[in-house]
Amino acid sequence: MKVHNVFGPVDIAVSGMRAQGQHMEVISSNIANARTADAGQGQPYRRLETILRAQAEGISPVVVDQVVPDQSPFESIFDPGNPLADPTGNVAMPNVHLPAEMMNLTIASRSYQANAAILKRYQKMVETTLELLR
Amino acid sequence: MINFDPSVRSTLSNVQPSPANPENVGVPKSDFLNAIEAAGRYVSKVDDLQQASDASIQDLLTGKNNDITAVVSAVAKADVSFKVLVGVRNKLIEAYKQTMNMPL
Repeated sequence: MKVHNVFGPVDIAVSGMRAQGQHMEVISSNIANARTADAGQGQPYRRLETILRAQAEGISPVVVDQVVPDQSPFESIFDPGNPLADPTGNVAMPNVHLPAEMMNLTIASRSYQANAAILKRYQKMVETTLELLR
Repeated sequence: MINFDPSVRSTLSNVQPSPANPENVGVPKSDFLNAIEAAGRYVSKVDDLQQASDASIQDLLTGKNNDITAVVSAVAKADVSFKVLVGVRNKLIEAYKQTMNMPL
C-alpha cells in the first residue's frame, strides 16, 4: 500500500481504528460468553484472542491477522446441580477471566482513542498547511 | 503548481480577450489561464471523492455496510481535498482581482 501521499496518515489511523474495533468485538464475545458452559460441541466457550499484523514492511496500516482460540485449560467449578456436571459434580467453565478482559477492553478503547486523536491532529495539520494559501 | 506569469502584457491580453481584437485568436494561452484550467480539471476529481463519501454514508445508513471507519476515512479525504480546491480557487480569484484592480 502506498503511503507517501496526503491520505497516508488518514488510511493508517483508520486502519488502527478498524483493527481496535474488531479487537473490541472479540473482547465483547469473550465477556458475553464468560459463563457459557456449552458452546455447541459440549465444550465450554474457549476464549478468543486477536492477533494484529502490519500490512507490509515499514510504514503500513494494521490489520487483524487472525482470531485464535486461547488454549489454556478450562476453569472447573463445583456445581453438582448443573446438568452438565461430571460424576464428581464439577463443571468445566470457559477460560475467560473477567478482570483480564476488562484490562484488554481498556487497552482496546484507549488505542482506538489514540488512533482517532491521530486522525484529528492530522486534519488540523493539513488545515494549518492550507492556511498558508490564504 | 500555480506558475503565474508576471508579464502583464501576456496575462492581460489573455485573461480578458477583447472580441474586437482578432490578433488574440492565435495567441497561446497564458500561464494564468492554464492554472485556472488545471484547477477546473481537479474539480471532477474532488467531486469523485465527495461522491464516494456520499455513497459510503448511504451504504452505512441503508445497512449495506457496517464499517463506520470507512465512512470516516472517505469523509476525511473528501473534506481535505475540497479544502485544497477551495484554497486554490480563492488564491486564483484573488490574483485575478488584483490584476483587474491594477491602475493602468
